[in-house]
Amino acid sequence: MTDDMLCAPAEVKYADELDWLESVDDGPKPFSWRLSPKMVRLFVLGSERADGLDREVPQKWFGDRSFVERSIVTLASDRGLLLIGDPGTGKSWLAELLAAAICRNSTLVVQGTAGTTEDHIKYSWNVSMVIAKGQSRESMIPSPIMTAMERGVIGRFEELTRSTSDVQDALISILSEKYVSIPELDDDNIVFAQPGFSIIATANSRDRGVNDLSSALKRRFNFVRVPVVTSKKSEAEIVRFRTTELLRRHRIDLELPPTLLDILLQSFAGLRAAAAAATGDDERLESALSTAEQIGVLEDAILHSHFFGDRTLRAETLGGSLVGSLARRTPEDLAILNKYWHGVVEPRSKKDGGDWPGFLEGGRQAITTLS
Amino acid sequence: MMKATAGGPFAPLREQLADAAGAFADAPGGLSGILAGMVDDVDRALREKLEIFPVCHHSPASALAMARRLREKQPKVIYLEMCEDLTPLLAELRNCRLPVALQAFATDLDGFPSGWGPLSVIAPITESSAEYQAIAYALDTPGVELIAVDRSADHVFQWLPRPEERDAPAEAPADAPEEAGLHGDAVGVEIGDLRPRFAELEEHLLRHGKVRHWSEWWDQYVEQPLSGADYDTYRQVMVLIGSLFRRLAPGDGERRASDEDRERYMWTRMREHLAATGADPADCLYVCGAFHAASHVEQFGLEAAGPGFDITPRTATRWLYGMIPSSHSAIEAQFGLAGGSVSIAAATWEKALRRGGVKPYKLAKPTGEANPGRAARPLPAAVAPRPVTDRLSGFLSSAPALDALDESELLGWCVDIVRLARRNGYQASTADAIAVFETSVLLAGLRGRARPTPYDFQDAAVTCIEKDVVPGRRDVRRLCEILLGGDRIGQVGYAAMPPLARDVFDRLEPLGLDLSKRTIQRALLDFTADPHLLPCSHLLWMLRYLLRDDTVRPIMGERRLGERPIQESWDLALGRQQRSIIELGYEGVTVEQVVEQRLRRTVHDPSATAAVALAAVEDSILYLGARRFTDELGERAVHLLAAERTVDDAPEVLRRIRRLLAHYRATGAELPAWCEAFVTAGYAHYCTLLPTAFVDEETGVRQVAAMLGFLFSMESLALALGCDRNQLELAVRQSHPEAPAKVALAWAAQAQLGLLSRAELRARCAELLDNPLVIPGFPQYMSGFVQALDPAPGLTPFVVELLSDAFAKLPDRVLLPWLPLLIATLRRQAPEMLPVLVREADRTFPGNVAALDTWTPPWSRTAPAAPLVAAAGPVGDLLVRHPAACDAVAALLGCEGGWVTGDRPGQELAARSPATAEAVAALLAG
Repeated sequence: MTDDMLCAPAEVKYADELDWLESVDDGPKPFSWRLSPKMVRLFVLGSERADGLDREVPQKWFGDRSFVERSIVTLASDRGLLLIGDPGTGKSWLAELLAAAICRNSTLVVQGTAGTTEDHIKYSWNVSMVIAKGQSRESMIPSPIMTAMERGVIGRFEELTRSTSDVQDALISILSEKYVSIPELDDDNIVFAQPGFSIIATANSRDRGVNDLSSALKRRFNFVRVPVVTSKKSEAEIVRFRTTELLRRHRIDLELPPTLLDILLQSFAGLRAAAAAATGDDERLESALSTAEQIGVLEDAILHSHFFGDRTLRAETLGGSLVGSLARRTPEDLAILNKYWHGVVEPRSKKDGGDWPGFLEGGRQAITTLS
Repeated sequence: MMKATAGGPFAPLREQLADAAGAFADAPGGLSGILAGMVDDVDRALREKLEIFPVCHHSPASALAMARRLREKQPKVIYLEMCEDLTPLLAELRNCRLPVALQAFATDLDGFPSGWGPLSVIAPITESSAEYQAIAYALDTPGVELIAVDRSADHVFQWLPRPEERDAPAEAPADAPEEAGLHGDAVGVEIGDLRPRFAELEEHLLRHGKVRHWSEWWDQYVEQPLSGADYDTYRQVMVLIGSLFRRLAPGDGERRASDEDRERYMWTRMREHLAATGADPADCLYVCGAFHAASHVEQFGLEAAGPGFDITPRTATRWLYGMIPSSHSAIEAQFGLAGGSVSIAAATWEKALRRGGVKPYKLAKPTGEANPGRAARPLPAAVAPRPVTDRLSGFLSSAPALDALDESELLGWCVDIVRLARRNGYQASTADAIAVFETSVLLAGLRGRARPTPYDFQDAAVTCIEKDVVPGRRDVRRLCEILLGGDRIGQVGYAAMPPLARDVFDRLEPLGLDLSKRTIQRALLDFTADPHLLPCSHLLWMLRYLLRDDTVRPIMGERRLGERPIQESWDLALGRQQRSIIELGYEGVTVEQVVEQRLRRTVHDPSATAAVALAAVEDSILYLGARRFTDELGERAVHLLAAERTVDDAPEVLRRIRRLLAHYRATGAELPAWCEAFVTAGYAHYCTLLPTAFVDEETGVRQVAAMLGFLFSMESLALALGCDRNQLELAVRQSHPEAPAKVALAWAAQAQLGLLSRAELRARCAELLDNPLVIPGFPQYMSGFVQALDPAPGLTPFVVELLSDAFAKLPDRVLLPWLPLLIATLRRQAPEMLPVLVREADRTFPGNVAALDTWTPPWSRTAPAAPLVAAAGPVGDLLVRHPAACDAVAALLGCEGGWVTGDRPGQELAARSPATAEAVAALLAG
């Protein structure tokens, strides 16, 4: 089934694993959860030998164990879960995994944008049916959140802080009373949330101040802050894991040389250090330099090598992709990259050799082309 | 190494573990070796004649087991793993509020690289530790001897790798609380360091234990199960853990070698003591870290056949000992423990005491007289030793008994954290308390425990209360730490402080403040109303001079030469910064003595210069007022000046000597001999160096200006003291600078000496301004003239004139780039230059806008033009005879005034005032 989809949701991608976990799970399950909290944790963070399972469960989200635990218990409690963090830190991926593990459905998603209205959160009407039959439950189009309430499953709200404050506040009654009333109908006009319903929202900490959450809504969410991964080891694991997945999706058979991965990680670490030391926005790349950006750079390089190259990932291509992906503003970003290339990559390629000279050349060419 | 016995009480366990290794491991040989070895270690440690008490630092379980065991065994000798030279300090613990740290401190190094100093070793002591129980028991029970057997502080540094081999010290995190820095940069030693020795093992344990950090692992897997265990179980489990970490440690590190040397050292010391005193080993107790209880060194055990360990002598470094306040967070920061773990351990200890009925030992406060009742009380009878039985099998095979949910305790925490959060700006409510409670229980369930630990509670509180921003200074995690015991900060009692610190507290008593408080206290000193506070002010200024931190901070008032204080206001944090005062106490007996030592050290430092010595002289006048000592420093300044070969410090020297001369003149005292010597030496010194300084590229124009300043402004004094002015004139004549700024300075010097007239100087400058090739470099000349303001204040009108001229004539492309430099120079040297410049500008320029229109610069004003007198000669005569043509031309051109006919102006003057001419004629005739 996953072959038919460009990007299968987690419950489809890991259906076998979830089925098996459900079959061996004998722990207490809150509400209508399909897995016990311990099994949810195990699904997300992977199994250890000490867990005594017959089958190895791979790790899918890389980060502090306590974040996952806090997220799981929040969903088992009365409050919604708000994952907050910098862009590209894996908030949405964690939300998807949690929803898939808990209720086998991670697709009940509302995407918060400036154009999101209250209808997207509650319900709207099928106008032609209303004309034909009048207002009834049949002619009503429930939102993903309302569907989640009816089924007692997890609803997701992506980028909560991108939607306006009045739209956000529509969630207050949903999270607090756990029902939505439909005043247009005379009877059967209340949709009650079934046990097991909860909401996982994500918010980008860089959007702070755009549409701030009201205190009332804040109170109904537990905040779990997902930090940028700084450990090189974890970051390498994440990049490898996600890239393998992408390669599988694109059906590309290409090997990822560890030395190039190391170059990519080192370059990002260097650029992050430079951004941290910068005093103004002009000295800082516009990119957040997150792990997701690294994966993006690598994907770009892989696709480029596959379709335009000799199907081998080369350092030159990686250098070009890195510059191409990170140079968003001209001339500020290009100046920063140029400085980095001359100040760090060039000495390193002289000192360390290996793939560095190729990386240097590729990046230099890209900078020349873009300038 | 001792051979382990195959039999004994642990034989079944050994067999069982070997079977398990065979069943589970891929290569059973290695694993079974480790497992069997661990059991052997336990067996060996327990069979030792001298009872070994294994401890772990900051472990309430260790402290509880220690308290119980001491009551049971009543040992007469306690050997403690602690630097042996710290023993005399232990008695002072009764004067302190724990936690405090025992400190060995050395500044006079002998035998260590000089770059290491000052050396500092600290051993923090908390109340919830096993070592405190042992110390309290030993000190308060008559007839009990406490002997620290570990290597001395000197050996700590002797055994340290040299700096180039050492890793860079970890930097404290930027957001670390202030209390975390209480230990400064001392090397920490502690009893019972028990932690995996390599990162992978710790990571493995944390991952499998499903915990976040080491303190949580220890609490969950060792501390909790052992807190109620009997002594045998405690001992066996602790040795087992020590053995595990020992066997899974990297085998060849410096650290391993150092640990083994320490073990050899300790066993050698104990054997020596037993042999010397003839004490019965059955009455003794050896308290050491569990790691050392599983030691493999050949000296281990009283009956070991291994040779004694050759203890190297201490170096000649002079060590000083004292106590400094410590805090839970300082201990955590020093030993890399998780934040709040020591506080949580302290809270666990107190809870265990309330619950378990164990009576801890506590050092009695000194009463001033011996307590006869206590001394006379006989020791309770000791319990006879029991045979060793295997408790490990039971402990390892059964799951630890989990504590039931202590609902009231958790509820209390939840309510309190919400209250605390509200007080810190969070919008927390009762609903949050309920959510924290529920989340704690759920988290504990997810982590496989029935009773939420403080760590679960902390996570739950962060989840439910922390939102996107922290409203106040502290986040929820920190608030939880405060709630669960908080950071406790110790205090060293008055009696335990060094004499200097006591003296400081005594002398500040007139302020009427409780200086032992940890808060910052404001002292207001009004010397008109309370002249007796002057000595306090004096002491505070000395402390301010010695301690550059915030221990004492003046808010109002300053101490400068020639100023008499009227009112002062100070922020005092002596209670908070006790460590600074105590460490000052290692340097001397009184504050004055320390100031004197520091000043003397400063001027005799190999890198000291004349300017540094003059600064020391000034400080000596300000803080000590001792004339003899000040003169000694002054004489040193003269020597330093004469020996200097550069003039880099000339501006500083000039500034300071001027101030000192003004001080001596103003105070009426005669000029000290060193001052006179300094002026004459300086005059000769700078005269000699002047020609070189003028041409030397390295020497800046400011330095040369300062030299000239010294020479010109001290000239009268120097000449009075026998110097020769020719020397200066020669020096100036010999100076042939090339750099434009210095050329200008040389011209200014010549003008000041009368070697160059003002008119010549003006002409030279005008010539420069007229030369288009020189114009781009002209600002540099001006820089030189600006610098000349200080040495030649007489030239100020000319400098103002030149500046005005330059501003008028120089093109913008030349002038504008120079302006920032001029402004920067004026800012930097404001005290010397601005007053003269402003005064002159005030004199020269008009005071209001209206006057500006009619204003003419003084240098442009010329005397009213004398009427033109037609020149004599045939042409003149012709014109005079026929004036009509000239008049017509003049009328045409609009010129007024008529003809002046006849005599020359001199003749006219003589004709108008004939008396003078007649008198002269009479004189000549007569």
